[in-house]
Amino acid sequence: MKILIVDDEALARERLGGLLTELDPAIALTQAENGLQALESIKKEPPDIVLLDIRMPVMGGLEAAHHLAGLAAPPAIIFTTAYQEHALDAFEANAVDYLLKPIRKQRLQTALQRASVYNRSRLSVLRGAAAAERTHLSAIVHGNIQLVPVGEIRCLKAEQKYVIAVWPGGELLIDESLKSLENEFPARFLRIHRNALVARQHIEVLGKDRDGGYYLRMHDMRTTLTVSRRHLGSVRKAIKQLAG
Amino acid sequence: MNPDQQPTGTFLPDFCRVRILFVVIMIAELLAIVLTLAQPVMPGNYFFDLAMISLFTQWIALSCIGLLCLSRRWLNRLRDVWAVILSYLLILAVATVITELAWWSLYILPDRGDFLASAHVFFFLRCVGISAIAGALALRYFYIQHQWRRDIESAARLQFQALQTRIRPHFLFNCMNTIAGLTRKQPALAEEAIEDLADLFRVSLMDARSLTTLADELTLCRRYLNIESHRLGKRLQTVWDIDALPGDALIPALTLQPILENAIYHGIEPLPDGGTITITGTRQQSKLVITIHNPFPDDDSVTHHEGNQLAQENVRQRIEAVFMGAGDLKISRDNRHYVVQITIPYQTHENPDR
Repeated sequence: MKILIVDDEALARERLGGLLTELDPAIALTQAENGLQALESIKKEPPDIVLLDIRMPVMGGLEAAHHLAGLAAPPAIIFTTAYQEHALDAFEANAVDYLLKPIRKQRLQTALQRASVYNRSRLSVLRGAAAAERTHLSAIVHGNIQLVPVGEIRCLKAEQKYVIAVWPGGELLIDESLKSLENEFPARFLRIHRNALVARQHIEVLGKDRDGGYYLRMHDMRTTLTVSRRHLGSVRKAIKQLAG
Repeated sequence: MNPDQQPTGTFLPDFCRVRILFVVIMIAELLAIVLTLAQPVMPGNYFFDLAMISLFTQWIALSCIGLLCLSRRWLNRLRDVWAVILSYLLILAVATVITELAWWSLYILPDRGDFLASAHVFFFLRCVGISAIAGALALRYFYIQHQWRRDIESAARLQFQALQTRIRPHFLFNCMNTIAGLTRKQPALAEEAIEDLADLFRVSLMDARSLTTLADELTLCRRYLNIESHRLGKRLQTVWDIDALPGDALIPALTLQPILENAIYHGIEPLPDGGTITITGTRQQSKLVITIHNPFPDDDSVTHHEGNQLAQENVRQRIEAVFMGAGDLKISRDNRHYVVQITIPYQTHENPDR
């Protein structure tokens, strides 16, 4: 059995590794220090089970689990946490397995036996309870998780069933709705059209074309985005806030 | 709590105290003025009447207060209801005795007892009636004042309880996990961590108002950082520049530690490579300035640091309460750095107001 331990604290990883080896010396262990490293590691060497800490720098456990859930054959996940007052209720309500640190060996054993795979809708409830925004958006490209840092994204465009995330390095087709993204990142993205959100901090200028229509130019992007009349007021307000 | 404060359980104030004596004399004198003004006499007689009525009311008032002062210990042992009834009866008794004395000393001299017999009854009823009403009002006044003071005290106590610093559960469980990890391979370090944690707990269970010396508080901070460094390893670096601070300065216990805890929770932990917390102390004449400086992730989207502000607000309120406004906590931040500056007056046990 292959197990990946994800925790930002070296001592915690070491202890968990020790417990696992005691339970079954045949377990193949790998380690990662945060969610992003875990995704890298999983890409190279897919484990059967991931022991995932919830609070970590760069990318937390809940978000990493969300990205993993998009894979065709995602690994089973067991969350570990020292203390998360509010989130634990959501965990219990969704029958998601979690281990409280310091982890007991027996408890770890039962968790390994019934480790389960989670889907995104269940995970999004947990993320909602933890009130955490994702740091990355992801899509599965050729069986791999492709990530884009949310801070890099210039705009999100709805295109039929999908949303296209655009950033200076490229584009990514995301299997989520524009509405849910707008709800998750209200401070970051601004609706400018029925089919488009833009990153507030990357707005360069609001312009008016010859036909009297309005458009937005974003930093580091050549193409412009149409602003609908309905959203013009909120766009102007956002620009004023940026300037102030 | 001030040592000279009366015990809160008793309803009657301490009648032996000068302040209460003054209040009673004022009540009696105001009563005398009211009675004088209410009389339908010629203008020239007012001052004479006032003097006579004052003499009378003050006699009653001072006698009452003297007796209440003497019987205070005994009255305080009774239930409130009985204390009220007995003190009221005592006031009436005093009024009766003094009214009689006044009557005999003022009107009996000319030897016209028969003529004044009915007037005597009338005089007696008037005086005791007024005393009964005035005494009831005075007792009512003391009762309300007592209630008011009790309300204020309980409100203040509640506030202090809320301000009591507590170890955050997040830190506690992380620490337990660290110790569990250390126990296997480095039992000596585990032992040290348990000792440090015990010291932290001891202080956090102390009264929120208790003062400690700056040297002790800084030692506690080192203990706390010691625990955290086991957990965070190289990610946590600290720089101390505190030679300018006098170790005997007084400071509320757990003033600096919660700020360091914030710095780690919101600053060091979310950074993949950690960072350096700098603790700087300077002395400006009679003021001491302690600055805690830490990096934090440049995360413009998430700015809800509720727990952060709660701990800081707690520290700020305790500094203000202890130093009566002479202390201060200031926060400044730019893109990637967070600075908390605590200013306190330099006070020591030997020299509370240096």
